[in-house]
Amino acid sequence: MNRTMKRLLTGKDSRQGRWFFALLIALAIIVWLGLTTERFLTSENLFNLVAQAMPLIITAIGMMLVVLVGGLDLSVGSVISFTTAILALGAPALISIPGVFALAACIGLINGLAVTRLNVHPIIATLSMQFIVLGITRILRPVSGGDVPQIVIDAVAGSFYGIPLPVFWGIVTVLIAWKIIHGSRFGLHLFAIGGGIASGTDEATHNFGVADKQKILLAYVGCSCFAALAGIFLAGRIVSGDPNVGLLFEMDAITAVAIGGTQLSGGVGSLHGTVIGALVMALLANGMNSANISAFVQTAIKGVILLLVVGLQSRKKMGL
Amino acid sequence: MQVAATRIGGDVKKRIEMSGISKAFGGSVALKNVSFELLEGSVHALMGENGAGKSTLMKILAGVHQPDSGEIFRDGRAVTFATPREALDFGISTVFQELSLLANLTIAENMFLGREPTLRFGTVDYATMNRETTKALAELGLDLDPKTMVSELTIAERQFVEIAHGIKADASIFILDEPTAALNAADVEVLNRHIRRLRDEGKAIVYISHRMDEIFEICDMVTVLKDSELVATKPLAEMTPHSLIAMMVGRELKDLFPERNAEPGEAMLDVENFRISASSEPFSMTVGTGEIVGMAGLEGQGQQRFLRSLVGQFEPFGGKVSVRGKALKFPVSKDGGIRYLQSLGVGLVPEDRKEEGLFLTLSIGHNIAMGLHSRKSEFSLAEGYGEKIRETMASMSVQASGPAELVSALSGGNQQKVLLGRYLAAGMSILLVEEPTRGVDIGAKSEIYRLLRGFANKGGAVVVLSRETIELIGLCDRLYVVHDDTIVSEMAAENATEHNILDAALSRQAGQVRLETTP
Repeated sequence: MNRTMKRLLTGKDSRQGRWFFALLIALAIIVWLGLTTERFLTSENLFNLVAQAMPLIITAIGMMLVVLVGGLDLSVGSVISFTTAILALGAPALISIPGVFALAACIGLINGLAVTRLNVHPIIATLSMQFIVLGITRILRPVSGGDVPQIVIDAVAGSFYGIPLPVFWGIVTVLIAWKIIHGSRFGLHLFAIGGGIASGTDEATHNFGVADKQKILLAYVGCSCFAALAGIFLAGRIVSGDPNVGLLFEMDAITAVAIGGTQLSGGVGSLHGTVIGALVMALLANGMNSANISAFVQTAIKGVILLLVVGLQSRKKMGL
Repeated sequence: MQVAATRIGGDVKKRIEMSGISKAFGGSVALKNVSFELLEGSVHALMGENGAGKSTLMKILAGVHQPDSGEIFRDGRAVTFATPREALDFGISTVFQELSLLANLTIAENMFLGREPTLRFGTVDYATMNRETTKALAELGLDLDPKTMVSELTIAERQFVEIAHGIKADASIFILDEPTAALNAADVEVLNRHIRRLRDEGKAIVYISHRMDEIFEICDMVTVLKDSELVATKPLAEMTPHSLIAMMVGRELKDLFPERNAEPGEAMLDVENFRISASSEPFSMTVGTGEIVGMAGLEGQGQQRFLRSLVGQFEPFGGKVSVRGKALKFPVSKDGGIRYLQSLGVGLVPEDRKEEGLFLTLSIGHNIAMGLHSRKSEFSLAEGYGEKIRETMASMSVQASGPAELVSALSGGNQQKVLLGRYLAAGMSILLVEEPTRGVDIGAKSEIYRLLRGFANKGGAVVVLSRETIELIGLCDRLYVVHDDTIVSEMAAENATEHNILDAALSRQAGQVRLETTP
């Protein structure tokens, strides 16, 4: 077995982790659904699947930024609901869309400051934020409703030369994320910082002049902004503001990131792994729906999957 | 040596001059008014016992710490460094003991960390990084792919990569902090070749090592630190290993250590046919009443694994162990091992008193009583041990306001005494002591040696392991030299020297090869 194969299969000595398994799982589910479900492999159903998966893909990409530096963001679900609520206030899109990004950036900034300056554990910092944002969202919009700007609805429901627009959302998001994660010094530094944290040599990056706290902070800001983007997409899909639409999204996003081979302790992971991980989650949901498995059972199954996937990652000491 | 002598005699430039450097961490002084000069084209040994201030001095030069007072001159100009990166920009490159490469990055990414060249739109310029890295590696004669992940490299390769990092940054000063600690003999030879080449190019190298033979083989100059102060800087050509040790210890050894016990009594601890791992050779050892026995040899040769397997903290391959004639259930279980051995009067005094030994946030009293309580059953009522604690503190001469003082507020020496006191108060008759005086000042060292000797004289038995060979020679009655997970030699400490211990450890290696070739 040559080195490339070994890296691909074991994820050892690779910075991309064990994303290859996620690909195999995704293909297996596609084959299974293709054989068992009528009309699964129609372009209509596949496009629909992409639209279903899109919010999770976007959120998971944002989540990956903080996971790379050994963090987590439990507030993304609330940020998604919050974004739909803001958009449904009826303000013109030219104001509300930059507005939600600015608000999300503030939320990420506070998360990042709590983690880097106050040294609060990311789980506690972002769990607090989850409740803060959820509370504000429920004050703004206790039940779903309101008017989402037409342009947002069109941007999600429309199509271009017969290809539904969600596909383009996916392409643009992935290109932006690729530039951030794999095509910039910032991304490389996230890997470096995370690798240092994971191996206990976190002084190393700082010693070599990498502004580690600032970059970790930016990762949280980026994570919230990706969540806001997912929120905009969802608002266009459900054509309203909904305080519960983002519920448990953080769970799905963390699971997607972990399935994609990203090490939760930091420093190892890949964008394609995360996208595949999110697709696996969407395919599973699709499959379980078509097999008439109840939503309650699905929630429990997702929990089992997260525990299994994270449990199978290697760690020497108790940790993420 | 001839080359070195002319080098020093000639008119050479001072690369670095550190003058009047002082540094304290919290209350403890690490450096007191130390001055240090580094000449171009020389390899400068920095020596001293652990905790003498060597690492602190070099970390100041490397920009990790900032001095409280004193100045650093680089080629005659005053400079200050806030981070190692800034020091590197001034041409000072450091290979720390704890390696500072990131395992999840490639060699090239590590080399350029924080200074990555970019193309348009901020894309990292990997082509340039890899090309430059290959060049820097080639200068060291290393044929490594710059795209290799550091996690795939051996320890030696990682060290060479760090040196290449310095070469790439065009450093003129290299600080090597115990570079050979993890290297085998062949790699040490390669490293020495690189060091000589750097020296011949006019670079200045600081070399920190505890191995005398290496110092005398490669260095030109030596600076000795003791108790945070400068002792002297001298050309090595004027020194012998003996005079160097005398400088490091600062007094005759016999003043530091209590008198040995002439007559060891009956066997307290008996070990037979012990094998640390499946591939290691079996050995036997014994310790008698009144005896202090040391496990000597190079670091990490199995001394600690042996002691820890006696109390179940490491699972050995096999062997027979008896305490005062009573055979142990062996191997000892990991969970109850410490407790089981304590019930037999055997206490392990662990190496890391802060992590493994003491409860820093509890009082002295609680820390000492811990040993007494642990011999009671789980649900028995706690007894008051006030009198016993005061007695122990007095006999150990622990300097503190009283039994209620928190252990974290004590100096290292007093903490170590409290730790020892716990086992003495609990009435142990055999002590297994790891690093009895780690990070302890010289006065407290002497007291701890006396306490251990006093314990032995009252009929106790002690097994000691220490990284400081001088300590083992001075403190113990008998030494076992451990190498490759087995005991290779036994000698009376009185006649032992660092040299013949090393000799015994290393000549055994050659012997083993011969054993293996004969069927």
